[in-house]
Amino acid sequence: MSALLSVTGLSVLGPRGRLVEPVDLALDPGETVAIVGESGSGKSMTAKALTGLLPSGVRAAGTMLLGGRELDLAAGETGWRGIRGGGIALLLQDPFTSLSPVHRCGDQIGWGLTGSRRTRSARVATLLAEVGLPERVAGQYPFELSGGMRQRVALAAALAADPQVLIADEPTTALDVTTQKDVLDLIAGLQRSRDMGLILITHDLGVARSRADRILVMYAGRLVEQGSAAAVLDTPGHPYSARLLGCEPPLDRQLTRLASIAGSVPQPYDVGAACAFAPRCMLAVDACVAAAPPLVAIGPGHAAACVRTGEVLDDPVGPTVDGPRPEPVESPETGEVIGATGAVPLLRVADLTRRFHGTETPALDGVSLEVAQGESVAVVGESGSGKTTLARCVVGLEHPDSGSIELAGGADGRAQRVQIVFQDPYSALNPGLTIGTTLRETLRAAGRPAELVEGLLELVGLPAAYARRRPKALSGGERQRVAIARALAVEPDLLVLDESVSALDVSVQAQVLNLLRDLQQRLDLTLLFITHDLAVARQVSQRVYVMRAGRVVEHGPTDAVLARPQQDYTQRLLASVPSAHRTED
Amino acid sequence: MSEGRARPLVAYTLRRLLGAVALLFVLSVVVFSLIYWAPGDIARNLLGNRQVTPESLAAVRRQYHLDQPFVVQYAGWLRAALHGDFGRSIRTGEPVGGLIRDRIGVTAAICGLAFVLSVVGGVAAGIACAVRRGSWLDRILVSGSVLGVSAPAFAVGLLLLYVFAVWLGWFPFYGTGDGLLDGLWHLALPALTLAIGLAAFVVKLTRAAVARELDADYVVFARSRGLGRGAVLRIVLRNAAVPIVTSLGLLLAYLFGGTVLVEVTFALPGAGALMQDAVEFKDFPVVQALTLAVGLIVTLSAVVVDVVYLLVDPRLRGRVSHR
Amino acid sequence: MSMLTRARTPRTPDTSGTPRTVAARRPPLTVIAAMVVLALVVIAALLHPLVMDWALTQNVALGPVGTGVEGHVFGTDQLGRDVLALSLAGARSALGGPILVALGSMLIGVVLGGTAGYRGGSLDFLAGRYTDLLLALPATLLAIVVAGVLGGGYWVTAVVLIVLFSPSDVRLVRAAVMEQRPLPYIEAARVSGISGPRVLFRHIAPNVLPIVVANALLNVAFALVAFSSLSYLGLGVPPGTPDWGRQLADGRDLLGSNPMVTIVPGLLIIATATAVNLVGDWLEGRLNSEAVER
Repeated sequence: MSALLSVTGLSVLGPRGRLVEPVDLALDPGETVAIVGESGSGKSMTAKALTGLLPSGVRAAGTMLLGGRELDLAAGETGWRGIRGGGIALLLQDPFTSLSPVHRCGDQIGWGLTGSRRTRSARVATLLAEVGLPERVAGQYPFELSGGMRQRVALAAALAADPQVLIADEPTTALDVTTQKDVLDLIAGLQRSRDMGLILITHDLGVARSRADRILVMYAGRLVEQGSAAAVLDTPGHPYSARLLGCEPPLDRQLTRLASIAGSVPQPYDVGAACAFAPRCMLAVDACVAAAPPLVAIGPGHAAACVRTGEVLDDPVGPTVDGPRPEPVESPETGEVIGATGAVPLLRVADLTRRFHGTETPALDGVSLEVAQGESVAVVGESGSGKTTLARCVVGLEHPDSGSIELAGGADGRAQRVQIVFQDPYSALNPGLTIGTTLRETLRAAGRPAELVEGLLELVGLPAAYARRRPKALSGGERQRVAIARALAVEPDLLVLDESVSALDVSVQAQVLNLLRDLQQRLDLTLLFITHDLAVARQVSQRVYVMRAGRVVEHGPTDAVLARPQQDYTQRLLASVPSAHRTED
Repeated sequence: MSEGRARPLVAYTLRRLLGAVALLFVLSVVVFSLIYWAPGDIARNLLGNRQVTPESLAAVRRQYHLDQPFVVQYAGWLRAALHGDFGRSIRTGEPVGGLIRDRIGVTAAICGLAFVLSVVGGVAAGIACAVRRGSWLDRILVSGSVLGVSAPAFAVGLLLLYVFAVWLGWFPFYGTGDGLLDGLWHLALPALTLAIGLAAFVVKLTRAAVARELDADYVVFARSRGLGRGAVLRIVLRNAAVPIVTSLGLLLAYLFGGTVLVEVTFALPGAGALMQDAVEFKDFPVVQALTLAVGLIVTLSAVVVDVVYLLVDPRLRGRVSHR
Repeated sequence: MSMLTRARTPRTPDTSGTPRTVAARRPPLTVIAAMVVLALVVIAALLHPLVMDWALTQNVALGPVGTGVEGHVFGTDQLGRDVLALSLAGARSALGGPILVALGSMLIGVVLGGTAGYRGGSLDFLAGRYTDLLLALPATLLAIVVAGVLGGGYWVTAVVLIVLFSPSDVRLVRAAVMEQRPLPYIEAARVSGISGPRVLFRHIAPNVLPIVVANALLNVAFALVAFSSLSYLGLGVPPGTPDWGRQLADGRDLLGSNPMVTIVPGLLIIATATAVNLVGDWLEGRLNSEAVER
C-alpha cells in the first residue's frame, strides 16, 4: 500500500534555534502512528507544523506528500488551502478552549460546510450521531457540556470536511480516565469506519501501546526511535525509550523503588552535534558526544538513533534501572493495624459534608476516613469526586459544613501539624521570593532557626546553593522538591500531597515519588496522597479510598482494592487505565 | 430566546435598574448638598449677584426651606426635581429646564458626531492593528493611540483651531452655523477634537480584545479545519464583541467630560459651556440639574450595556439564569 | 482625550514579534525618546526658582507680541510675559500636582484595596460600593463640579482628583491581591502558620507592587491631563501662576496675535503626557512579561 501521507525532512526553527531536527514520517490509510515524548520533546511542534499552524516566530521546513499532492512545509497561508480540513484535520488537547464560547455547537460544526441550510443542519446531525451525541447538542453552547462531550463536538467539527488524516494532539489528557477511554475508543472506531490515517501525539506510553500501530519516540526535538508499537515498547532500541518505559509506574504491583532518569530534558537548541540523551545515559561513550547518531535499522521497520543499539537490545530493561531490577513486594497489611489493635489513628475524619454555593451536588457528602501514624493512604477519584475538597478541609483551607476532623493529640494548632504540597509546580513557589527566603519564612513561622535551610534542601536532594535562586531558575521537578522541603520545615505529623506529581513528566514523577518514599521512612512521616492516577496510588499507598461524587465508594488495602475491586465504579476505573507494560495473559 | 430563558433576563434587568436607582439617589443627595459645600453663606450664595437685603435673604431662605432640617429641604427639592423643576437660574432668573433645552442641541450634535466617528474609525483601526500585529501599520496606530489618549481635548482643540481656522482658514473660528451643511462645517472641528481622544481609546481597547481572541485555541482549531481568513475573523469578532460593547457604554461618560472642554474651547453655546459658566458663577440650580441629568444618562446607559452584554455572551446568560 | 480616562483603559499587549527576552531588556526607541523628554521636563521643574522671576516679569506696555521680538524667542502673552519663561516655569505645576495625585491615589489603593482584597467581608463590601459609586459617574464632570463649587485652587483640586482617581487603584490592588490569595504558594504560606499581615506584606506585596508602581506612573499622565484641564477652566491653579493649562486658556484669545502662547504649552502638555504614558506602558509590559516568564 502506498503511503497516504509522507513527510520528508520536517524541521522546526524557533527564535533561539532548531526546535525539531529533521524528521521523516509516513502514514498509511487506517494506520495509527503515535508520536511519544515528554514535555520539550517537540512532538506538539511537529503536529502544528503538519498543519501549518506554528505560533508566530516559529517556522517549519521540509516537504509533505498527501494524496499525491506535494506541499512545501514552509509555504504561506495560501499553500495550506485545500490541505487543512479535507486533507489533514487537527484535534487539540483542551476541549475547554478549542471551541468558541459564544457560538452554538451546531453552528461550530457546520462552519465550512456548504449547501442549503437544511442540508447543512442534516449533516451536522449526522456528524453528531457519529460521535455519539444527541441532536439537541447542536443548539447548546460549549459551556453547557462536560469536557468529554466538548471533545466529541470538537471531533465532529474536525471530521466535518472528511479529512484523510487526523492529527490528535494529546486529545484526552485534559479528560478523566473513564472519559479518556470512551473518547479514544470513539476515535479508533471513526478511524476504522472512515479508513482515516491517525497521528496520535501523546506523553502517555499506555495510550500509545493500546492505540498505535507504530510509535515514534522523540527526545529534545529529535526522533530517537521508531518502529511497531510492540517492537518499541517490548524491545526498545534506544536507551531513552527503555528507561522512559521503566519510569512508568505499573498498576498491578508495587515496586520497592521506581526507575527514574536523573537530570532533566535539555532545550533542543542547546544540544549541538551529539546525542541529546548522552548526559543522562548510563551507556554513553565518547562516540555519543562526537556526533549526532543517525537512525540505524535494528529490525523490520524498527530503527533507533543510538550507537549502542545492539547492547540495549540484549537487555532491554536491565541496564536502564538504578541498581537491581525491581522486584514486586508485598505491601504490609496495615489495613488490619487500625481495626485490630485499636490503635488511635493520627487523623480521623468523620461524616464530612461540604456544599459549595450555587452547585447542585455537594462536593463532600458524608466522607469518613482514617490514617494511622506512619501510614501512607491514597484517595483516588476523578474530577468532581471531592478528593481535593477533602484535602483542603484536612489542612484547614476549607471549612466543612458538618462532620469532624480530629488529629491525635488535640485539635489545636492543626494548621502546622498538617502540611500540603499542591499540584502545579509553577505556582508552588512565590516568584517574588528566593528559595531561601521562602524556606526561612516557613521556619520562622514554626519557631525554628533559619540555619536549617541548607539541611532542608539537602533533605529533598537539592544543593544548598539553590537557596539563593528564584523559582524561575528551577525546573518543575526541582520546584516540587522545594515545595516538599517547605512543607517539612514545620515538622508536620501529616503531609497531604494533592496531585503533587501529576503535572510532572513521567521520568521526573518517578524521582519525586522515590524521594517521598525515602522521606517517609527517614522521618516517620504519615502521608495522605490525593491522586487521579491509580498507578501512582498503587506505588505509594498501603490503603486506598476510592471517591466518587463526594462519597467514598470503596476502601481497603491498596493491593486488595486494585486487584479485586468490589464496586462497579472501581472496576470501571481500573479497566479504563491504559497500560504501558505488556499485559500478562 | 425561549420564554424560560427570558425570565431571568428580566429579573436581572430589574435588579440592575434597582441598583441604578440607588446610585442616582446617592448622587442626588450629593448634588443637593453642593450648596452646603461652597464656602460662604448659603443664602448669599443663592442670591448670586442680586442685591443682598434682609428681605431678599429671607425670601431665599423661604424658597429653599433653609430654616428647616436637611432632610426636609432635600425632600422638597427632590419632589420638584422629579417633576422636572430645578428652579430658576441664579444668574439669569430663567427656569433651568428651558435654559438646558436651548443648549442641549449643540451638545448632542457634537457628542453624536464624535461618538460615531470614534467608534467607526476606532473599531476598524483596532481590528486592523490586531490582525497585523507587529506591522508598521500597527506600530503607527498604537503610537498614535498613546498620543491620542494622552492629549487633553482642549490642547488638541486649540491646536486644530489655530491650524485649520486661523492659519489655513478652512474652518470657521466660532459659531454653530445655519442649516445642516453649514452646521456640520461649523461642528466638524469640535467633533473631531472630541473624537480623537475617544478613537484612541477605542483603538487600544479593540486591539487588545481582538488580539486576545486571535491567540485563543479555538482560532487555531478553526484554521486547522480549513476555514478562510474571513470566516475566522468573523468568529473572532463575535467573541471580541463582548468586551468592546461593554466599553463603548463607558465612552458616554467620557464624552460628557470632554464636551465641556471642547465647547469652551470652540465657544459653542452648548450644555457643556453652560456647565462651565454655571460652575464659575456658582449657579447652583443649573449645576444640580446638569449633573443629575448626566448622571441619569450615564447610569441608564450602563444598565443598557450590561443587558446587551448578557445578550451577546451566552456564558453570562447561563450564569445569571442559574442564580 | 477627556481627562479621567485612566480607569478602564486596557493595556496593549506586547507588540513586538521578536522574542520577548531580547525585546524586554532594551527599551524601544520611542521609549528612550520619551525618557529624554521626561528628563528635560524634570530639569525644567527643578530649575523653577531660577526662572520664576523671569517668568513673572510683566511688560504690559509691550502686550502680546509674536516670535522674534528681541529677547523673546516665542514672544509674549497679553501681560507681556515671556512665553518661553512661563512654559519653563509651568513644568513644576505640571509634574508636582500629578505626582501628588498619583501617590495619594496609590496610597488609598494599597491600603483600602489591599486589605479589602485580603480580608474580604464587610470591608470589601464597602470598598466595592465606594468604587462602584465613583466609577459609575462621569469623573471629569464631577471634578469640574466639585472643584468649582469648592472654589478651585491647587490643593482642593489635588484632593478632588485623588478621590476621583482612587477607585481605579483600589480596584487594581484589590484584584491583584485577590488573584494572589488562592495561589498555591500563598495558601502554603497560610497553612504553615505565617500570620495574615505577614502573608500580605511579605508574600503578596512583592508580586503586586510592581503593577501598582507602573499603574501609578500611568496615573501621573492622566492626572497631568486632568489637572491642566481644570486649570484651563480656571479651577486648578490660582490666576497668575505659571501653568500650561492656564497659558492655553489665555492663548485662545491670542491665536491671532501670538499663536505661540498656545502652541508651546499645548505641545508641552501633549508631549509630557505621552512620554509618561509610553514609559508607563513599557514598564507595565515589561513587568507583565517578567511575570509570564516566571
